[in-house]
Amino acid sequence: MSAPHSREPAAGGTPRAMTPAERRRAPDPRAAADWTARQTAETNLRALVGRAYPRVRGMFREPSWLFFEIFLPFLGTSAYVLVYRALRAPEAYVGFVVLGGALSAFWLNVVWSMAGQLYWEKSQGNLELYFAAPMSLMSVLLGMAAGGLAMSSTRAVAVLAISALVYAVPFHVAQWWLVAAVFALTLTALYGLGMMLASLFLLWGREAWHLTNVMVEPVYFVSGLNFPVGRLGAVGIAAIATIPFAVGLDAMRQLAFPGSGLLTGTPTPEAEALILVAMTVLFSVAAHWSMGVIERMARSRGSLSIRWQ
Amino acid sequence: MAVTAGGIGDSRRVEGLGLADTARHAWAALLLGWRVESNWADPVLFAIYTVIRPVSSMLLLTMMVAIVGGSADASSRTFVILGSALWAMLVSGLAGPAWSVLEDRERYRTLKYLYTSGATLLVLLVGRGGSRLLIGAMGSLVAILVAVALLGLRIDPAAVDWPLLLAAMLLGLPPVLALGIGLAAVCLQTRQESWNYPDAFSGAMFLVSGVVFPLAVLPRPLEALGLLNPVTWWVAGVRRAIIPGGPSSIGGAGSLWTAVTGTDAPGPAVILGALFLTGAVTTLVATALFRGSERRARDQGLLDRTTGS
Amino acid sequence: MSPTPPDGAPLPPAIEVAALRRTYDVKPRPVVALDGVDLEVAPGEFFGLLGPNGAGKTTLIKILTTLLLPSAGTARIFGFDVATDTRRIRRIMNMVAGGEQSGYGILTVREQLWMFSQFYGLGTREGWRRVDALVEAVGLGEQRLQRVSTLSTGQRQKMNMARGLLNDPWILFLDEPTLGLDVSAARSIREQVLAWKAEIPGRTVLLTTHYMAEADELCERIAIVDRGRILAIGTPAELKRRVQRDSIFRLAVDRLDGGPAALARLPGVVSAALASDHAPDAQHVAVNLVLREDAALGGVVTALARMGSQIRSLGKSEPTLEDVFVALVGRGLADEADDTAPLPPSEADDDLAAAHAPSHDAEAGR
Repeated sequence: MSAPHSREPAAGGTPRAMTPAERRRAPDPRAAADWTARQTAETNLRALVGRAYPRVRGMFREPSWLFFEIFLPFLGTSAYVLVYRALRAPEAYVGFVVLGGALSAFWLNVVWSMAGQLYWEKSQGNLELYFAAPMSLMSVLLGMAAGGLAMSSTRAVAVLAISALVYAVPFHVAQWWLVAAVFALTLTALYGLGMMLASLFLLWGREAWHLTNVMVEPVYFVSGLNFPVGRLGAVGIAAIATIPFAVGLDAMRQLAFPGSGLLTGTPTPEAEALILVAMTVLFSVAAHWSMGVIERMARSRGSLSIRWQ
Repeated sequence: MAVTAGGIGDSRRVEGLGLADTARHAWAALLLGWRVESNWADPVLFAIYTVIRPVSSMLLLTMMVAIVGGSADASSRTFVILGSALWAMLVSGLAGPAWSVLEDRERYRTLKYLYTSGATLLVLLVGRGGSRLLIGAMGSLVAILVAVALLGLRIDPAAVDWPLLLAAMLLGLPPVLALGIGLAAVCLQTRQESWNYPDAFSGAMFLVSGVVFPLAVLPRPLEALGLLNPVTWWVAGVRRAIIPGGPSSIGGAGSLWTAVTGTDAPGPAVILGALFLTGAVTTLVATALFRGSERRARDQGLLDRTTGS
Repeated sequence: MSPTPPDGAPLPPAIEVAALRRTYDVKPRPVVALDGVDLEVAPGEFFGLLGPNGAGKTTLIKILTTLLLPSAGTARIFGFDVATDTRRIRRIMNMVAGGEQSGYGILTVREQLWMFSQFYGLGTREGWRRVDALVEAVGLGEQRLQRVSTLSTGQRQKMNMARGLLNDPWILFLDEPTLGLDVSAARSIREQVLAWKAEIPGRTVLLTTHYMAEADELCERIAIVDRGRILAIGTPAELKRRVQRDSIFRLAVDRLDGGPAALARLPGVVSAALASDHAPDAQHVAVNLVLREDAALGGVVTALARMGSQIRSLGKSEPTLEDVFVALVGRGLADEADDTAPLPPSEADDDLAAAHAPSHDAEAGR
């Protein structure tokens, strides 16, 4: 086959960024394979949006989640509130429970919709298509997170607002900017951890699913879901140092309920914000590194497309 | 094994199955469920996995009692510890059939084959749920042992009302599985992201089952709902059998139970009678719900779909 | 022959594989999936890998699509190493597998394809435009707003094909793309691929299949693969000429005690294998016989009489790829009933039609 090539070269043959349409008409495969950093970043961003799309669409297509993700979690949070009421505990504890119940939505999103998700993608036959596409798998994971975030945020806001109203939780926030910063940092650190776990789980089959499953209650306990984490002593400090959910929740509690006198034994919110910054950097770098290493290991073992493990 | 002319998937086909066939199918499903649940890890790892969730859950609640300090007496602690340890069984029983539906439909893609096999789907799901319930029972047992060893829970084997315990277990487990079947009916209609529905549902059940606080602290409508809930009577029966004379979740000053019956707390016979009645109603309702869901799934072609997002 | 880019420098081979080996560490003993494969495919070529299940075809595709690392040897796509230059390769290739169930059932066909278009960096609007064009091209216009979970097998595979073309790849890997499809759907897929490839020179396709007729119809060159090794490479015509020197007969008997192996042992018989269109529940046994010379037929007829078999039909036929396969591998695809999915009846009919068609030069029609 010696017909002259019909694909047009990029204008002037300069290395300027080609549009996707131009890229598809690149003069030869080697030129088409050479992308600028901008093209790569743009593709990753688009992949992120693309992967978030089905999750957001799914929210509207099947609204049963409103009942299971908002009403039932509110009842679950109420159960813990009533435990404290039955024990005649100080009212401040009710606020701790409500905040814990709201923020747990994000941890559940990380655990269920991110950490173990690649295993599901493998089961569905999507994982090998993700790997065979030119974007970074990190952008796919972030897309999953962003899509899941829409649902988690709705759940968190609803649980927080309804519980605060029903149980008359007294929030006394003085440093809104710090609350916003801590919240944002908690999310970035949480999703960094989620990406790291997702990459580690890439090597496993059902073990990943079970590890995901086992990361709920134990993390709730060591993070002080319903009580001040400082009361756990050394275990609480270890959790503050390693688990974004623990440190974010404690900082938010300190900022939302200042002067309660019940939140002792942990660093100040400012210090915890710095811990979250460090966690964000550490987990993101570790996720990027481990994704590369583990992808290579998975390609070597041939486990990227083995299903029904 | 005869199959009636009702055809594949027709509920009438069960008419052709004898009791022995049904029992054999349930047993096979139970064994299959056990293998699927346990063969992903070596026995030691599996044992750790089995107990880590219930123990963490128990510690979470025990910590809530502990930090309240003086206002929570030893009997409150015993009440909470025992209730939360039993909860592991309930969560497993609830999740078993629902997760089987999602796993077999989305991951292994065998739901259609199970449905078109000679056995009825309902029986198979009861078997699969039973295996998870057994695993949950192991977790509960270990959690109680941990509580005895480390948390000061005092159980006198000589004082345990063994007949009551046995009767409460025998009468209580079918409605627990029935609730799981009800959730399976929901998951037959919903998409893959329904994995945490059993957790959300059990969290809400926590509120109306008298597991960690007496029903009397609930608003009257919720208290009434709690009295119609077989899990309330199951937990009350087991608790009374293990710690005779301990505090009850039903009755007490200001409670609906006391207002209606004039007694402080129900006795063993009343507990078992109420457990039987509420359990029977729950089982009938859950079975009807599942049949309806099965019919709709068949009508809408939901049995072999994959729904991830 | 490969196309020449504007700068005049010749393109490297689309696929270049040297001494490729891949083993899987499975119990009880490691499995050798590829055992020293050498292969070169020119840019613009439609190349086929023909072999039974377990021959190593999918393993080779996985290595070439960067999903699997080789245990030894090298593989390059347009000069890019599959082990180290994965990003570049992924920008210019795509793949479609038969029976693929990828994507999300909750999305519509259009939405699903748009999502995949974003993974290749297409602009938002460009993505929708491309999706709409491809949906029409593959004949899914009516189903474009239908949820993926409600598509039939054939419709789903057409959607997968559209997905594979979203980024307009330079090299397309097709792994049994018509597996399980009926004649019409399989033909539609084949036509789409041919039409897409014909649009622009330089587009390369690597097809794996165990449907002989499909390979014969589509491929300019074919490699016959078995047990991890390439046994022969050539155009269909070249491969058929290899067995032209032998006499090929198609024989149908009412029963055959001992199977084709009983005939293969006879003097003058090169090979005997069940015909690929042979249905296990058929009233007769269809066997393809390759003889050194026509005279050997007498011995076969005598032996059949001795075995109590009655001949239903006997005819001399032109060599097909199946004969080539049998001659090279020593057995037919249909002989592997234990691990080879039987052809659906419709596909079997298709193959049968091809098998009885006059011999043709595969190059001529292209």
